[in-house]
Amino acid sequence: MTITIGNGVELDRRLFAFVGNYGSGKTEVAVNFTIALSKVVKPVAIVDMDIVNPYFRCREAQEQLENEGIETIFPKGEYFWADLPIILPQVKGVLERKNGYVVLDVGGEDMGARILASLDDSLKEKDADYLFVLNLSRPFTDDVKGCLETFKMIEDAGKIRLTGIVLNTHLLLDTTPETIYNGYTKAREVAEKSRLPIRFVSIEKGLLAKLDMSQVPSPVLPLERIMRHPWDMKPVCRFGPKELTKAADLNQKNRKKS
Amino acid sequence: MAKKLMKGNEAIGEAAIHAGCTHYFGYPITPQTEIAEYLAKRLPEVGGVFLQAESELGAANMIYGSACTGTRVFTSSSSPGVSLMAEAMSYIAGSDIPAVFVNIMRAGPGLGGILPSQADYFQAVKGGGHGDYRCLVLAPSTVQEAVDLMVDAFDLADKYRSPVMLVGDGMIGQMMEPVEFKPRKQVALPPKDWATTGCKGRKPNVITSVFMDPEVLHQFNLKLGAKYEEMKKHEVRVETYKCDRQMDLLLVAYGTTARICKTSIDMLDELGIKAGLLRPITLFPYPEKELYATAKKASKVLVVEMSMGQMLEDVERILKGEKPIEFFGRTGGLIPAPEEVFDLAKKLVKK
Amino acid sequence: MDIVFQRPETLRENTTHYCPGCTHGIIHRQVAEVLDELGLRERTVGVAPVGCSVLAYNYFNCDFVEAAHGRAPAMATGIKRSRPDLIVFTYQGDGDLASIGMGEIVHAANRGEKICVIFVNNAIYGMTGGQMAPTTMPGQITTTSPKGRDVNEVGYPLRMSELLSSLRTPAFIVRTAVHTPKGMIETKNYIREAFQNQVDNKCFSLVEVLSTCPTNWGLNPNKATEWVEKNMVPYYPLKVFKRPGEEI
Ligand SMILES: Cc1ncc(C[n+]2csc(CCOP(=O)(O)OP(=O)(O)O)c2C)c(N)n1
Ligand code: SF4
Repeated sequence: MTITIGNGVELDRRLFAFVGNYGSGKTEVAVNFTIALSKVVKPVAIVDMDIVNPYFRCREAQEQLENEGIETIFPKGEYFWADLPIILPQVKGVLERKNGYVVLDVGGEDMGARILASLDDSLKEKDADYLFVLNLSRPFTDDVKGCLETFKMIEDAGKIRLTGIVLNTHLLLDTTPETIYNGYTKAREVAEKSRLPIRFVSIEKGLLAKLDMSQVPSPVLPLERIMRHPWDMKPVCRFGPKELTKAADLNQKNRKKS
Repeated sequence: MAKKLMKGNEAIGEAAIHAGCTHYFGYPITPQTEIAEYLAKRLPEVGGVFLQAESELGAANMIYGSACTGTRVFTSSSSPGVSLMAEAMSYIAGSDIPAVFVNIMRAGPGLGGILPSQADYFQAVKGGGHGDYRCLVLAPSTVQEAVDLMVDAFDLADKYRSPVMLVGDGMIGQMMEPVEFKPRKQVALPPKDWATTGCKGRKPNVITSVFMDPEVLHQFNLKLGAKYEEMKKHEVRVETYKCDRQMDLLLVAYGTTARICKTSIDMLDELGIKAGLLRPITLFPYPEKELYATAKKASKVLVVEMSMGQMLEDVERILKGEKPIEFFGRTGGLIPAPEEVFDLAKKLVKK
Repeated sequence: MDIVFQRPETLRENTTHYCPGCTHGIIHRQVAEVLDELGLRERTVGVAPVGCSVLAYNYFNCDFVEAAHGRAPAMATGIKRSRPDLIVFTYQGDGDLASIGMGEIVHAANRGEKICVIFVNNAIYGMTGGQMAPTTMPGQITTTSPKGRDVNEVGYPLRMSELLSSLRTPAFIVRTAVHTPKGMIETKNYIREAFQNQVDNKCFSLVEVLSTCPTNWGLNPNKATEWVEKNMVPYYPLKVFKRPGEEI
């Protein structure tokens, strides 16, 4: 069964693994993708397999995901913030499920992708989409050569075959329409040389409205920025679990000085 | 060069290369391990040397040795590892050797947690190691600033023949921002004629921190003291935000916390409460005169830190009881939210 | 009742945080069973390292302390010297024991501290996400040896059991592995011998256990087991290196 999410993003599989380099925006894309997916089909589960990145992981968007009725699978409680490469035993179970949709947010680089290889006994029977999230403004994937090397590195480490590219070129708040257009032109070359299709382009909603889409002729997943910096005003989800922030005493010392 | 989107830790590694640093010795510890991982890939590409030490004791003493040969070298770690490096830092200061340290601070004490913290202020600014030494301490609040300061750190270390430390809370190391690597300023630096590189054609050079004669050691400490006075005269860096007016409240914060305070100040503006921010960029030398002068324009002062109140003690020392000082701190890896600082500021101003 | 799978009293009910297929869990269980069998639980103090087993105290049902990275043997020395009647063991990974803690382990062994050391060698830094360990195999790729361990640059993997058994002080030093059923049985016997040595106030004992890290090796548990056999066992021979009374 083929389903469509976002602006024309067609999907015909039920297991999606987002891989890529550190900081390519995998998590942001995976979370947005999962939410978009859950608006079309149910049930949807997301697994945080990021053992590499200690701070910005999809578990930070837990509340928002769960509000959408999405099942979240990552360490909770004390282990939420643990500096430990925790792969929950449930992960295998989820991968072996017969129904529903599963999104895997895999850690960065080959080291992160290695997790997939350690789970290959659960994955090998599966027809999965392995999507490489590509930001051409990042070191090591800023030219065609770097991209091709990285694709290979990740395929070897994860013992997978990539099925497509998700283009996520941006410079955070410094992103201009040119960043997107130039990124798209370069990505086409990467796609041609690697023989991997550009499956969709992820673009921040605010910016999307300002673009001339004839320069970006591919399906689009509009992005809501979910992970914010702690100094942003009223974020959807700020770094740091909300319960913790609220529960902690304010620690405020009122010092009377004359 | 086009802007790149980089994680603070990667950017620090690349900035070191940009500054002509060729050697790195380190030991893995979260949240700074990406510095080592990045340099393990990058340094060999540019003909440099990356070596994983057996411990932070090892890493810090390796940079001590490397620096003795006049090499541009640095090491990085996070809080528990920096405690182990304190020994070498004292020896480096005690033998007038330039070297750069990076501390991407995590929550302590002990093994603590991996989340951001500013609780190593005392360690960085007031010693850490033994003896009468100081370390020039730089505290960036953006990834771009981390890059710029990292480049300067090597020049400052060479200029003063002193350890220089870049401190960032874990956020600075982990967050991503667009950065550019600007062409380096050419700074005239003293020749490294003290380096131990083999005495062919000259008298042997000896690098040591041993001074048996108390009078000689005292003279050496006076010389170090004079060096720190020079730093105070020439190296102070500070940023002020909305301080060009009479203020109801002056916030004092550095690093990530300072960025949070800026958001709070903008929120206060909407209520007609006038607040400003003083952000020290050098923690040693501290912007003493600047703080004193800026605080004169404010009715109250609020210090915000991710600690139980460490920089607070410097602010109290400098303002000598002339202004009421309040404190707001978060520890354990919690980061103050802009709304929290805003709420507290409102309360303080009303009082 | 199937008593084979009964939980030893020295283990708590908590499920561990270890990855599927990680052998830390097996080794915990064996130590716990031995402590049960020798009736030592109530006078044992464990010393946890910094590494994936940093939270070992959540799983063992006996007194435990948590050491700084690499310093477990020093902490154990302090405990044992203050209370010789206690049974003290450290549980350490290869980064902890053979890298940052090399000094502490050599001197604890050389002093002949009457403690047990359970040394889990998985050829990698697990906790921090797959960096090179002193025991990483030649050519093995890690995040800090992205082109594979180059022995010309960083030397060969350290054989800790061999190294420590060269010390003159009497000790029990053995290397074993838990990737086969036979190995598991042997390992437990050696762990028992180590603790018995301590009960008899005989000597320093170290049991090096070749272990797996499926997650950071990027191998499923079966392949990880094969990897131990194929790559580690030839380089790290499984044998008793030293027993008190059999001094070289
Ligand atoms: C002084 C200090 N430096 C670095 C660290 C970070 N660190 C935590 S665990 C670890 C290595 C663990 O590897 P290993 O001992 O092999 O145990 P494993 O995780 O593989 O079981 C490191 C480097 C620390 N906690 N303290
Ligand atoms: S990372 Fe490796 S050593 Fe650590 S729990 Fe997972 S499998 Fe075990």
